[in-house]
Amino acid sequence: MIRRVTGAAAAAVLLAGLAACGGGSEEGGAGSATELTYWMFQDRTPQAGEVVEKIRTDFEKANPGVKVNIVKIPKDDYNTKLGSALAGNTVPDVGILDQPLVSRFAQEGTIKEVPAGTLNEADFWEGALNTNKVGGKLYGFPIDHTAVALFYNKALVPTPPKTWDELKSISAAIHQKDPKVAGIVVPKGDGYGAWMWPGVVGGAGGQMVDEANKKILFDQAPAVEALQLWVDLLPSSPREITDSDQAFANGLAGMMISGPWDVATIKDQFPDLDFNVAPLPYKTTPAGNIGGENAVVFTKGKNEQLAWKWLQHLTNSTNNTVLAQALGGFPVNKEAAERDAATFGEQQQAFLEQLKVAQARPALPQWIQINDEIIAPALESALSGKMTAQEALTDAANKTRALLGWNS
Amino acid sequence: MASPVVAQRPAETPARPGRRRRPGIGRRDHLIGWLLIAPALVYFIIFLLYPALAALYYSFTEWDLHSAPIWVGLQNYTDLFFDDVKYPHFWKSIQVTLQYTLVAVPLTLVAALGQALLINAIRRGSNLFRLLLFLPVVTAEAAVGAIWRWLYDPQYGLVNAVLGLVGIPRQNWLNTPELVIPALAFIAAWQCGISMIIYLAGLKSIPESIREAAVIDGAGPVQRFFKVTVPMLRPTTFYLVVTGIIAALQVFGLVYVIFSGGGNRSVTGGPEQSGLAYVLHIYLYAFRYNAMGAACAMSFILLVFIMIITFVQFKFMKQEAS
Repeated sequence: MIRRVTGAAAAAVLLAGLAACGGGSEEGGAGSATELTYWMFQDRTPQAGEVVEKIRTDFEKANPGVKVNIVKIPKDDYNTKLGSALAGNTVPDVGILDQPLVSRFAQEGTIKEVPAGTLNEADFWEGALNTNKVGGKLYGFPIDHTAVALFYNKALVPTPPKTWDELKSISAAIHQKDPKVAGIVVPKGDGYGAWMWPGVVGGAGGQMVDEANKKILFDQAPAVEALQLWVDLLPSSPREITDSDQAFANGLAGMMISGPWDVATIKDQFPDLDFNVAPLPYKTTPAGNIGGENAVVFTKGKNEQLAWKWLQHLTNSTNNTVLAQALGGFPVNKEAAERDAATFGEQQQAFLEQLKVAQARPALPQWIQINDEIIAPALESALSGKMTAQEALTDAANKTRALLGWNS
Repeated sequence: MASPVVAQRPAETPARPGRRRRPGIGRRDHLIGWLLIAPALVYFIIFLLYPALAALYYSFTEWDLHSAPIWVGLQNYTDLFFDDVKYPHFWKSIQVTLQYTLVAVPLTLVAALGQALLINAIRRGSNLFRLLLFLPVVTAEAAVGAIWRWLYDPQYGLVNAVLGLVGIPRQNWLNTPELVIPALAFIAAWQCGISMIIYLAGLKSIPESIREAAVIDGAGPVQRFFKVTVPMLRPTTFYLVVTGIIAALQVFGLVYVIFSGGGNRSVTGGPEQSGLAYVLHIYLYAFRYNAMGAACAMSFILLVFIMIITFVQFKFMKQEAS
């Protein structure tokens, strides 16, 4: 008898456990409200959360019967989660998508093309808009954008360099004056360095890739000169100094290349550092790279019309500035950007200049892999002196051609 | 993904029970038996067996997680081994992982045995020291990474400061390709707490009478260590070598945290891919480059490799105490 009871109890407990695992299915929206699911990165600050919340309630007020369900996911996990969701058919209707992923998703048909008339191209900065274009077609809305620029320590660099020659001579002077201080934190041959590098290539009038004609261009003279610039900066900017944590903020380096997110961090953690930000020095043409967040509508999602409407709401001139600032970037809506430029603070102005000349990454599905696995190691072999800049880039370009099946 | 699994000690296998059914065990007992192991069984099937079989299937496909997998047969495997355009750092990641294993496992065992001997030797406060030496194991991997980034800092790092006292010049530990593996292995050795506890248990189980006999025979401390302690610990060492190698071949968390923690450092495996551990390589292809099929194939290559290594160890290493 006791045995039977135990058996039954065990079975009951087990079933309960299984039921608990299986639970948590979506509880449909109350009543007949249309529900839109939007995925975005986790907020950087509580204030940013409030901004997003206000934009959401405004949208719901303007569209009675609509409920926007915002799901926030830590940035590092976002792509993994999105991949699993797509594999498991639990996609959001609309959501943030990393710039370099847009072309892959577009070619797979995972995301929808922006219908004609949904977005007025003249309202947006071109660089940001181009990060959403694949083969000339538009697949998403830019939400905010960002770029890198030159941070400089005012105590060490009274006037920021405008050209590459000035950059080299200032860097040399800083290190000569005090051998314990480096001229500039030279970016490394890793995925992050490779992301910034096209901005430098652009500064010599070069390009990474000519997608239309299937040509690799980063073994040409401008790119070689750009890499050589970094190599030339190393003697006055030794790695044993710049590899130290927060070398620039600690006053161990006169300059560094970084994005607007570091302005807030440095001000917060190193209030005594007197620094400013200037556009990247260039050789022939002012240029810069671009990053930031795009938002796309997923093919497997629901409520497509509403999704586009939501993206229009996020990028209109009323909302875009506050939203972009909350996300750590700059408005992509020209009207908003021009109206609010003065409010961004001294250190942010350079980024605005930079964004006007920003160039989008090549819209190739394999670009992340090329960036990380081919270009980054090539930069590293030149920076470590194992190869010349030309050798490293010729090798990388050949590997990329082989990977893409391009002939030139 | 790569959490080291601490298996049961394989040392003493009980004799197989007789085939004949013992009296008094009826069908109901079988049912209850099944019910009792059911939670573990369900877990095993859903979270281990099914994913493993699914991964085996996907390893024969080209799959980006978004669209339907395309069957490509053995192509993932042949490309991984022979196509260095598609997978430029596959062999590098194997080399890095083997080097790491060769350095980290012996270093961990020596550190663990050393700590166990010290704790075994003291009479008072051994609990406290055991706790302190075990702390690195229970510290979150992210915190470990952050701490060691600081310790290895080329300008302010404690490691350089200590080495400076004995006249060794400053090193840029995590940014010099040749120093990355030793630096990572040293962290692994610092986290040797579990091995230390197992060694400690092994030491406690050496009969006092053997030590006394050795003393009477005139053996000094060094002789006793090499002639008594080490041979008596052989089953323990064997177990730790086998599980240590399995864990080292799957090292991931530490490398990931060290080379990606904070800021915008990217996860491409340290300077010149010198810290590109095999599992990190799998991770990058699975979740960064959307090549899940190839990543699954890499996982299976690792599985087969670990099985071979373990088999060889069981076949050729001395396991019994002597």
